Amino acid sequence: MAQRELRKSFRSAKGVVLLFLSLLGGTAATLILAWIQQQVRDRLPDPSPEGMQAAREVALTAAFGDPMTGHSLALAPEVLLAVFFITVSLTPLLISLLGFDSVAGDLQHKTVRYWTLRTRRASYMVGKWLGVWATVSAITLTMHAVIWVVCIVRGEAPAATTLSWGARLWLITLPMSAAWCALTTFVSSLFKTPIVALLATFASFFGLWVVYLLGLRYDITALTYAYPNTFDRFLIHARADRWMTGLGACALMTALYVGASSLIFTKRDV
Amino acid sequence: MTPELATKPEPNADPVFLVEGAKKSAKKPIEIAIRLTKVTKRFGAKTAVEGVSLKIRAGSVYGLIGPNGAGKTTTFSMMAGFLKPTEGAIEILGYPPDRVDELRSRIGVLPQDALLPGADKVGEFLLHMARLQGVAPSGVEASAREVLEEVEGRDWWNVKCGALSHGMAKRVQLAQALIGDPEVVLLDEPTAGLDPRVAYEVRQIIKSRKGRCTLVVSSHNLAELEEVCDSACILDRGRVVASGSMTELTASSEEIRIKLSPGPAPIAFVRELPMVKRVEWDEERRDLVVYFDRSGGSVGTSVDAEHVIGAVLWVLLQNQARISAVSKGRGLEQRVMELTD
Repeated sequence: MAQRELRKSFRSAKGVVLLFLSLLGGTAATLILAWIQQQVRDRLPDPSPEGMQAAREVALTAAFGDPMTGHSLALAPEVLLAVFFITVSLTPLLISLLGFDSVAGDLQHKTVRYWTLRTRRASYMVGKWLGVWATVSAITLTMHAVIWVVCIVRGEAPAATTLSWGARLWLITLPMSAAWCALTTFVSSLFKTPIVALLATFASFFGLWVVYLLGLRYDITALTYAYPNTFDRFLIHARADRWMTGLGACALMTALYVGASSLIFTKRDV
Repeated sequence: MTPELATKPEPNADPVFLVEGAKKSAKKPIEIAIRLTKVTKRFGAKTAVEGVSLKIRAGSVYGLIGPNGAGKTTTFSMMAGFLKPTEGAIEILGYPPDRVDELRSRIGVLPQDALLPGADKVGEFLLHMARLQGVAPSGVEASAREVLEEVEGRDWWNVKCGALSHGMAKRVQLAQALIGDPEVVLLDEPTAGLDPRVAYEVRQIIKSRKGRCTLVVSSHNLAELEEVCDSACILDRGRVVASGSMTELTASSEEIRIKLSPGPAPIAFVRELPMVKRVEWDEERRDLVVYFDRSGGSVGTSVDAEHVIGAVLWVLLQNQARISAVSKGRGLEQRVMELTD
């Protein structure tokens, strides 16, 4: 099911367009960030690599509240770090556009009946989630790979450093995108009309973002945990207990959404 | 006929029918392939099907008949596990329809209004269905190509499902229902929207499967059902109004119909025949209906419809009547018209 979903996505006009836009956006973002980085370097009193790293370490330690993480992340090429945070922010949009019709599209014209006859409905739902996740992961990997190439060609960082940090940062996006994909599949499974599913997906993502902002505004940490991207700061952390917490939280969120959609789908008429 | 008759075992039922497909799963022999017990389905306040009970013998071809809104497709969809009954129980080969693991590879369904996945090529779709159907990996492609050839679509392997015409799509849908040689095949309106030649071919495919599996056919086309089905039930407003063998439903073992051309109508001579119970004569339409006693009446030996046709035609011809048509029973269409609003 996941394999079929992957094939379907990359054959569809929607999948190809989103892949193209992601590549275009990724390349453009890298070039813009590199230019900004150069402007900043030109204005710094000590633009040597060591001076830049020290400045990064101070800033990242302050951002993460942990010297170990600050020290670790300061070794990463700046462009890759910036692209990572941009990717994490924009991935929900990519996921919603790719996955809104994953189940709703099958329900709309009852195509789902060919599958429910032969597979357990929970397996179908897991396959759908896995398919969307695999597609999104493949698109983001391609986008990241283009960024790595641009970084290497422009001499932003040595190839080994770029590839090692690039792969690590891409892997960190996966648990969060898994949770977003699970939520998208869940919403998609509730509707028979794809456009309604798309609007509901946007609404639910926006709703979670508002909850996250409210959590930040009123200092209610528990509220921020409803928003999967909250865990980027955990997953990127150098301390094992922190990134494992982030990984566990994303896994739990994914399991909850996939479980709920499977349960509802098992009980409903198709 | 009352709904209670629906649950009555059909006469002359074979003690046990071993369907051919049963050997592959080594399941216990099954006499009743499909059993519905007091099944009701409600959609909100609307009751689509109410208290339907059916028993469909393994190896038979069974028809679901009824006008629009009678509950055929709802009943069919519950049998296929697409819809959950609000009340009652359904068993397919001894299992509820949602027991996918037990029924995988044993059931095939042609849903009436389920579109094929437009982006998939026909070959890919059938390969995927064959894998899910539990066909052995080494036989997946052969199985897919075989069913596609059976529906005369061997050239469509690389055609996208979205590019198929209605008739072609219907045949691909039929192919996926037959893939893996399932023991139970449910076909919802298998010839709807097909041109006469393709519809004929589809009927031949259904007939060729007779005895190899249990077939349930839901259709508006009564002539088609009369041709292919062994037994059937007639639904109206969500209830079973009649069920039984096709012979019982059409009363073909109890009456014959003769249409006379203008000229003499020696009805009195027909009435005098010993096996004749009653005669109805419509002067205007020149339709003669002869009801007969299968036990033979005063003749003493049992008679069948063919015997009665011979005797009645002899009398009519002897008296210079001109005969334009002869048929056994009422015909399914007339029976349905009598039983439904």
